[in-house]
Amino acid sequence: MRTVLTLFVMAAMAAAQPAYKQLQFPKLGEVKIPEIETFTLPNGMKVYLLENHNLPLINGIALVRTGTLFEPADKTGVHVIAAGTMRTGGTKAKTGDQLDEQLEAIAAGVESGIDETLGSVSFNCLKENTDEVLGVFHDVLTAPEFRQNKIDLLKMQYRSAIGRRYDDAGQVNNAEFSDTVYGKDTPFGRSIEYETLDRIQREDLLAFHKRYYFPKNVRLAIQGDFDKAAMRARLEQIFAGWTVEQAPVPEFPKVTHAAKPGIYVGDKKDVNQTSFSIGHLGGLLSDKDYPALEVLSDILGGSFDSRLFRKVRTEMGLAYSVGAGWGAGYLNPGLFRISGSTKAESTVLTFQTIQQEVNRIRTELVTEQELNDAKEKVVNSFVFNFDRPAKTLSRLFRYEYYGYPKEFLFSYQKALAAVKREDVLRVAKQYIQPEKFVYVAITNTDQLKTPLTDLKLPVTQLELKVKEPKKEVAAASAASLAQGKALLGRMQQAMGGMEKLAAIRDVVMVNKAELGPMKVNQKVQWLMPDKVRQEQELPFGKVIAAFDGKSGFLVAPGAPGPQPMPAPVLKQVSDELFSMLVTLVQSDRMAGRTVNGVGENRVEISDGNGKAARLEMDPATGLPAKLIVEAMGPQGKVDVERQFSDWREVGGVKFPHKTVILQGGKPAGTTLSETIQANTGVTLEEIMKK
Amino acid sequence: MNSMSSWKLSGLGLLALPLLWGQSLADFEKRVTEFTLKNGMHFLVMERHESPTVAFHAHVNVGAANDPANASSTAHMFEHMIGKGTASLGSKNFVLEQKALAAVEAAYDRLEEERRKERRADKAQMERLEAALKKAIADADQYVEQNAFTREIEKNGGVGFNASTGLDTTNYFYSLPSNRTELWFALQSEWFRQPVFREFYKERDVVREERRMRVDSSAQGKLIEALLSTAFTAHPYRNLIGWATDIENLRAKGAAEFHKTYYVPANVTISIVGDVSPAQVKLWAEKYFGPIPAGPLPPRLNTVEPEQNGEKRVTVETEAQPFVAIAYHRPEGTHPDDPAIAVLDGILSGGRTGKLNRELVEEKKLALGADSGATFPSGKYPHLFIVFMVPNAGKTVEDLEKAWDELIERMKKEPVDEAAVKRVKTKLRAGFIAGLDSNSGLAQQMAEAHVALGSWKKVFTELEELEKVTAADVKRVLNQYLTKKNRTVAYSVQVKREGK
Repeated sequence: MRTVLTLFVMAAMAAAQPAYKQLQFPKLGEVKIPEIETFTLPNGMKVYLLENHNLPLINGIALVRTGTLFEPADKTGVHVIAAGTMRTGGTKAKTGDQLDEQLEAIAAGVESGIDETLGSVSFNCLKENTDEVLGVFHDVLTAPEFRQNKIDLLKMQYRSAIGRRYDDAGQVNNAEFSDTVYGKDTPFGRSIEYETLDRIQREDLLAFHKRYYFPKNVRLAIQGDFDKAAMRARLEQIFAGWTVEQAPVPEFPKVTHAAKPGIYVGDKKDVNQTSFSIGHLGGLLSDKDYPALEVLSDILGGSFDSRLFRKVRTEMGLAYSVGAGWGAGYLNPGLFRISGSTKAESTVLTFQTIQQEVNRIRTELVTEQELNDAKEKVVNSFVFNFDRPAKTLSRLFRYEYYGYPKEFLFSYQKALAAVKREDVLRVAKQYIQPEKFVYVAITNTDQLKTPLTDLKLPVTQLELKVKEPKKEVAAASAASLAQGKALLGRMQQAMGGMEKLAAIRDVVMVNKAELGPMKVNQKVQWLMPDKVRQEQELPFGKVIAAFDGKSGFLVAPGAPGPQPMPAPVLKQVSDELFSMLVTLVQSDRMAGRTVNGVGENRVEISDGNGKAARLEMDPATGLPAKLIVEAMGPQGKVDVERQFSDWREVGGVKFPHKTVILQGGKPAGTTLSETIQANTGVTLEEIMKK
Repeated sequence: MNSMSSWKLSGLGLLALPLLWGQSLADFEKRVTEFTLKNGMHFLVMERHESPTVAFHAHVNVGAANDPANASSTAHMFEHMIGKGTASLGSKNFVLEQKALAAVEAAYDRLEEERRKERRADKAQMERLEAALKKAIADADQYVEQNAFTREIEKNGGVGFNASTGLDTTNYFYSLPSNRTELWFALQSEWFRQPVFREFYKERDVVREERRMRVDSSAQGKLIEALLSTAFTAHPYRNLIGWATDIENLRAKGAAEFHKTYYVPANVTISIVGDVSPAQVKLWAEKYFGPIPAGPLPPRLNTVEPEQNGEKRVTVETEAQPFVAIAYHRPEGTHPDDPAIAVLDGILSGGRTGKLNRELVEEKKLALGADSGATFPSGKYPHLFIVFMVPNAGKTVEDLEKAWDELIERMKKEPVDEAAVKRVKTKLRAGFIAGLDSNSGLAQQMAEAHVALGSWKKVFTELEELEKVTAADVKRVLNQYLTKKNRTVAYSVQVKREGK
């Protein structure tokens, strides 16, 4: 009886209004909107000043109308390297290292940076050091020196970073989604690669600075503990001598790519979780439906209380993180993206759950409560747009840079308050297009319990592998091509003549090779033009590599049997085949190959597919003396040079019986051929015997 | 000429600094009100009326280092439970929900009882009990009004709602428009008094997922986990996020026990910074937090890490590019050597002039990046001084370890650069001023200083301690702590796996 009574009382208490609901809030105190002074210096540079005496600090930023979107495709990364070395490469008066010492001694900073549509140079300091730091800021902005040592350093660091590009699943997911949606061959989706990096020179950085860093193309904002009139006078004085002019900077390129919808999978064996992104292009901040889209994406996946968060994290416990955002950009569409991570085995279930939620928001009105919560959130937290004066300045500054009205935030706020449930449904139907979704999943495919094909969408494999550089090929002219043909003709002649060369069907070599401290017995069987078997006796056992022109296998000690040849080895084999002298000297008769004279005794042979070699003739004998190919070493490109000697005739053709190998100019090994036989009748079956 | 004038200017700048600090502390003291409730809960209130906003920071003096054996990640679960709400917020019918939650625990107890029989456990019975538990959980879930707690905060304009768990502390924080200050009192006090562990077992899966993200699927995460569990033999700093199988078996009743022990009022410090009236705050504090019953302070952590008797090494194999981390035992944050160690850290890795950047990154071009940290993984108890280095393409972890050894062995012999010591001190001070800018940053600093150092004023006086550090002090701590015998070296090496 007592229990029942207690229960009853408790139920009555629970039904009563809880304390937090009975609270009456007073009217919010007044929001102070700080005053910003704007003016234009005589040289055309626009300035925005905001006094803020809370702390004895001053900071400023110059926005420069430029961006990585203007980078030429073959030099992707040039603006990144330029912005990165603007500060570290020093000024006329001081090296970057000297600037480091000077600034850090007074706890000040001057930095430069760049993104897609914006270049920047910024500074910060204690107010005592304003004059000194403004001086450095001026020098970095107007006349950076781009010293070579810092260019080399930054390029090398990017090279290392490229090698680490696919290490972190979350990062890979972000980059692959963005690049896939925007298009990997567009300024929005291109990546810095070894070869684009290699083309970037100091002149490019100077040209970049000259083109974009001129007063009329710069806006400067400074805020902090100073007097406006004094600061204005100081700026007029400092920048009086900077009067360079350039043609106005053109519009930024537009997004044109239409991504192929479907699933894009990147396989990573060292994770047990799927990092995913789902979505398509977003829109512009200036779109009239932008406020409704913000409400929509907030309800769908914008907070701890969103539908996706509730369903995927709270209800099903499938993910640590899940969210959605309607990406709106100032000038170009952002990305509408639903992203998160889940254990690999629940990938398909998570995707299906997300699909259901997307479908629901596109077919049913959101509830009155969801709409009100989303709006109230924005209305009540609006004051946080003004909690620090610097926020007002940086907002105004961005609006002006991108050509948005000063009052944009207020008109957005007003439009948002007017959004109705029907608007949310309308924009969901109009702008969220599941049939166009790109799904990126970076995962361990061994751990997917349900195959991704269950989603009934086309699946594309993402290759999470760094692009090897294409070989640089010298420019060809009619004269150089003729010279190349003549030189190659002499080499053909010296080796035995075209007729004898063309008669070679196969070659079997028994070699003794010395590779550093290691002595190796080799047997190479080669069937024209692209089949090969190599057996090597190594100190730890016998290794067999066999290749039939398309694929191959490896037999190594310790391995359970023949293993399919992995991609890097396939590439190595195909490079080796390209370098076989007997065929290489016949390149003038092979489709697609270019033979170009690049020196008195030198030809460059390329196959138009990224393979290239330089062949140098011994003018005394007419025989090839050296073969040079470029390979990727740990430090980047490295020349691998083979020097030929000890020529002996086999089947009417001269073969070098000694080859000395140099790598980056340093001795790397020697191969001595004990016997070479030609046209032995070796068959493909023998070559591919397991 | 140019360099002459800049030298003078910087000289003046340094002279001006101490004055400025003096003013700041006096100025801050005028604006800070401090009081302790009868139950022991401590409040720090700082007035700042620049904008009608206020930041709240609730600091609980408990962290992952206090996790019970067999139940790592218990402290962390609270960070996840705050969003689950209270009796009055988050339930469709709390009376029935409470009964249903009790039934879940009872069902779980029965299952565990059977499991404890190990090999003698009845398989069919276990399956029945698992099904019963699942059903009990589903039954309790029907009363949940999901995310009601966070929704209420966001609706009222709350921003930055979050919580964090460290090894020594758990923090709950967000900001509100200042006219809604009382809402924070109403919500936070109810949660501290009686958090409801609803949806505990789903949230446990989320924590497990978090571990997958931070450790299992991250080469860096794996390396740090291996480093800590090697460097610490006994002390609970040996694990950050909790072991997978501990997490998978966490219990709501264990969490309730933990709450009773550690979430006593005297173990909680609240700091409030912004547009508030201290007198009003005090009234609300008494009204809302006053009724929470006092409790004894939680037990102290007895385990002290034994002295290390020789270098330790550990290797983690992953598919990612290599890293190396080297960590040296050092004393707790309140030790007199702490400021000198902080300066040493600045000399090594502060900015571009830091030795690691100058020598390993720029000169020798061995490292893509290199950083050091004076306080890792946390500072209340003796912990680690860590250096983390990323080799450039073609360089190895061995190359970096060698270069690091050369660098510090040379530094141990040569006099420490006076200019560098001065530079680091100036930077630490300037960084401190910049940190005073935001209400939430300040609220956090004050609460942490009160708990870790004994008074919020230490935020300022610590800087004076820093000012006393000499080049000789730096050299002494370098020689004393950064020794091979005292360290753990952790390599993450790349092992390629092809195909399936």
